Amino acid sequence: MSDLDRQIEQLKNCEPLKESEVKALCLKAMEILVEESNVQRVDAPVTICGDIHGQFYDMKELFKVGGDCPKTNYLFLGDFVDRGFYSVETFLLLLALKVRYPDRITLIRGNHESRQITQVYGFYDECLRKYGSVNVWRYCTDIFDYLSLSALIENKIFSVHGGLSPAITTLDQIRTIDRKQEVPHDGAMCDLLWSDPEDIVDGWGLSPRGAGFLFGGSVVTSFNHTNNIDYICRAHQLVMEGYKWMFNNQIVTVWSAPNYCYRCGNVAAILQLDENLNKQFCVFDAAPQESRGNPAKKPAPDYFL
Amino acid sequence: MGAPDRSPATSNSMQRVKVYRLNDDGKWDDQGTGHVTVDYLERSEELGLCVVDEEDNETLLLHRISSDDIYRKQEDTIISWRDPEYSTELALSFQETTGCSYIWDHICNAQRNLHFSSLNNDTFHSMNSELRELPAIELSTLPLIHKIVVESGITDQMRLVELIVANQDFFKKLMDIFHICEDLENLDGLHMIYKIVRGIIMLNSSQIFEKIFGDELIMDIIGSLEYDPELSHVQHHRNFLKEHVIFKEAIPIKDPLVLSKIHQTYRIGYLKDVVLARVLDESTIANLNSIIHANNALVVSLLKDDNTFIQEFIIFSLCYVVATCNLLCFSPVHFLHEFCSLSKNLQMVQQLRLFRDLMNEGIFDVIADVLQCPDKKFVLTGTDILILFLNQDPNLLRSYVVRKEGIPLLGLLVEGLITDFGEEMHCQFFEILRCLLDSYSLSGAAQRETVVEIFYENHFGQLIDVIAASCPSEGLEQSGVPKNRSVVKPEILSSICELLCFCVLHHPYKIKNIFLLNNVIDKVLLLTHRKEKYLVVAAIRFVRTILSRHDDDLTSHFIKNNLLKPIIDVFVANGNRYNLLNSAVLDLFEYIRKENLKSLVKYIVDSFWNRLVQFEHMASIQSLKVKYEQCLDDIGTSGTATNVLDPRKRIEERALEKEEEDYFNEESDEEDTATASVSNVQRAQSPPLLCNGVPASYPPSSSRPGGGLVDYDDDEDDDDFIYRPPPRKQSETAEEDDGAFHTLRLKRRPLHKDKDPEKGKKQRPVSSQSRSPPTDGSKSSEHESPKETDENALRSSTDDGSSSLDEDSHTEKQSISSKKCSDPTHKPSDNTQLSGEECSLIPPNSSPEMTVKGS
Repeated sequence: MSDLDRQIEQLKNCEPLKESEVKALCLKAMEILVEESNVQRVDAPVTICGDIHGQFYDMKELFKVGGDCPKTNYLFLGDFVDRGFYSVETFLLLLALKVRYPDRITLIRGNHESRQITQVYGFYDECLRKYGSVNVWRYCTDIFDYLSLSALIENKIFSVHGGLSPAITTLDQIRTIDRKQEVPHDGAMCDLLWSDPEDIVDGWGLSPRGAGFLFGGSVVTSFNHTNNIDYICRAHQLVMEGYKWMFNNQIVTVWSAPNYCYRCGNVAAILQLDENLNKQFCVFDAAPQESRGNPAKKPAPDYFL
Repeated sequence: MGAPDRSPATSNSMQRVKVYRLNDDGKWDDQGTGHVTVDYLERSEELGLCVVDEEDNETLLLHRISSDDIYRKQEDTIISWRDPEYSTELALSFQETTGCSYIWDHICNAQRNLHFSSLNNDTFHSMNSELRELPAIELSTLPLIHKIVVESGITDQMRLVELIVANQDFFKKLMDIFHICEDLENLDGLHMIYKIVRGIIMLNSSQIFEKIFGDELIMDIIGSLEYDPELSHVQHHRNFLKEHVIFKEAIPIKDPLVLSKIHQTYRIGYLKDVVLARVLDESTIANLNSIIHANNALVVSLLKDDNTFIQEFIIFSLCYVVATCNLLCFSPVHFLHEFCSLSKNLQMVQQLRLFRDLMNEGIFDVIADVLQCPDKKFVLTGTDILILFLNQDPNLLRSYVVRKEGIPLLGLLVEGLITDFGEEMHCQFFEILRCLLDSYSLSGAAQRETVVEIFYENHFGQLIDVIAASCPSEGLEQSGVPKNRSVVKPEILSSICELLCFCVLHHPYKIKNIFLLNNVIDKVLLLTHRKEKYLVVAAIRFVRTILSRHDDDLTSHFIKNNLLKPIIDVFVANGNRYNLLNSAVLDLFEYIRKENLKSLVKYIVDSFWNRLVQFEHMASIQSLKVKYEQCLDDIGTSGTATNVLDPRKRIEERALEKEEEDYFNEESDEEDTATASVSNVQRAQSPPLLCNGVPASYPPSSSRPGGGLVDYDDDEDDDDFIYRPPPRKQSETAEEDDGAFHTLRLKRRPLHKDKDPEKGKKQRPVSSQSRSPPTDGSKSSEHESPKETDENALRSSTDDGSSSLDEDSHTEKQSISSKKCSDPTHKPSDNTQLSGEECSLIPPNSSPEMTVKGS
């Protein structure tokens, strides 16, 4: 069994890696991710997953429902970290799977894959608590910069974390973004990760999130037409039913964090596409309490003060 | 009534009321005096008001609380309502205002709950206001206590807290029962106690926390929380805390209060993060955090106020570190780290004072020693302490580094950055250097300047050397690995490159001089020869960062030394692969185009078009070419852009690289500064004087005035395009080379009808390219075919995943460009006038420096 396989097993038990292992993993991941494109091409069949937010045991539930990683192809639409208790384990497991099976799993960047956001919403603190220093956070956030921005499944389904950008009319325009940077406060890259579709908006509207835009049905229609795609698949917004179509089936939101923040009471969903792009939504609940094991928030066993 | 037995003693004056009823005469009849309660009506789930006569225990009044808005509160002591059952007005007159408001609150609550009828019955239980006393704490009463703790409504919770706090023995008794249950392995009892303790913690009362987190109780409390009925296994928290957690007393702490607080803090943290992590709500977590916070602050301030502590401690550490430098000294340094990190809990002013004290006692000397220790972990703890200081106030460390004894520390940090830490992460060094060199911080400008000076003076070159030594130079790519190359790990090179980008942004002037004088950029660009693609991309970002400075001298330095060549090389070598490298270079091109860096546009297309043409299907490459042509057109209006041919011709003949370089050297000074319109016109007037008029030795700094002149051309799009002097003889050959981009300029043609030679030259880069077959052999007469070529290229790019819109945007650009071209039809004449004024002073075709010198 290779080191990597052993690490994957360890992570599957929700045990974080050592700092040195994280470092090595990140360096390997960097070499793989640097070869990916801003619009990463993905072949069907593939299973699309939305936000995870550090809910490790619910992600295990996801794999239980959707199948294990090398057997099923996965596309994760970002927001792996923050809010849940296990951002470190969640992200590292996904990253380890990426390094182990680069063609079987695609990770794209969400708005939480950012230095600024993770300092507020938990990933930073979690790293500090679990490792006693923020080095792991630094390495992981460096990797975030390399994550692809979107994916295109069989030229027909455009997948992105947030949504569209007024600066992007064609997929080719995404190509010219040098994505290796902190998520900017505006511009195309920011919008892709932050925007939301909104019924009541016609065209473009200001986003209450303070970044990205709201976009209406007409925007989606023209984008899909221009780029000759069937529909857009995105995440970024909690939907109680796990998934939600909008604008006459031109865009779908997939949400994969059941009982979000351990209290929202929602179900989660993944979108399974077969080789002919036939859709099947698979809805699942939060992992039962028993399967959650010990909370692994153990502080360092030594202390001076 | 369904109320639990009420002992008379608990019926206090608060509930004493007189009941009045409005009679038919409109007068209030006194119905008697009694005690009022809010309770469930018999055999029903509905709440009612019940008044029991204080003398004979007869029920004076029974009233089902209505959800209708019928209740009135008057003068703080009277509650009245129109009673639907009695069909008249009733009133309760309270002896005490508190009693009145107490019942009033209950009525309001009950009404609110009636409105939320969807809520389950637990909510109604919470309306029980009969909580006057806790039952005796016995095994048999545990279910009752549990019910009280868990099912109390908000109002009762307050009361419950009071009762628990008032009862000195409550927890002692509860824990006694816990121990009994544990001894008897009475799991039901243990589960019940777990729920009770959890419920009490969830009451989130500071008073209760104070009690249960005391030294006597806390371990028992944690013990009772081992029996979570929802988990299949019993947890072993006490065992962990007792057996596995080690309190390391690096420094003897004498004060028992400090010790007690230290332990308590750890345990509360454990309770919060481990024991009850999934259970606690946000407000409870916040409360626990604030206890931890306050404890930490107390510990740190008690320690620091101990006069001898810091001194003793620092000396202690120093001795250890200096004397032994082995793992023994690990402890004090770790302790120091925790101490500094906990001091974040102090108020800002206090913290700053503490850090000042530490600094004055020589903490940085200690850390400098620590950084020289062979043990890597130890070194990294040292850097963590430095980061804590930097987060507080970077000037503390800066003020140390600028002192004589502090200078070595900066060297150690640079050394650390480029040292291989094996498996350990050592990004702290980068972080620290960045903090020290950050020029955006407002305070301490003088010290910062000095630090920056020292850095560039002593260490900057070292970083560049590391890069140069770690990269194969050109031509060596295939040869074996040079001896010292494997020494530095790629991630270190990546850090250095990132630091360089940071320097470019923060010390633009400093960096500019170094870059211009020392070939630094070439060396950094050696990174493009590395096989790790992320390093190649880092080098591209480095270039992008420099160009974002919009510094004319640096831009011309790039052109003069053909510095974009390595980037074009890797771009071309990367082929059509759509990866980060591809995107980064396209982003660079887009930037150059959008920012209108015309000299660069021209340099790139002139020098590299023959290699870039194969990527013409990419919108960015296409746009760059279009931009290039726009620029040429503008110059073209003045009729003398013939020079274009010369450099390109030479580049096509690849053998002449050296010559090409010379060419750049000769021309760049002029290019970088000359304002296009000025020189354009002059060139138009006197072409023969074009070449090599400017000595290459002109120092870059002297070109400043030229920069000013550029600004004065406000039509940035068209007027300030800079080009190389045209050797006259080339103009005829151009005529024959009409080609690919012909159609592009068809629209614009009328503007330049009389300047065909120049137009031909612009098109030549493509037409002379043997690699674009459709244009081969095409002459100026075949205007249609190139158009088709374009479209084909675009279509094929569509298949490639790029979009058909390109075509639209392309045509759009054409029309825009044609518009722009038509606009300036007047402008050039303006410029002619403007520059004409200067003409009198400027020798034809000279650069602005010449102007200055000349005048």
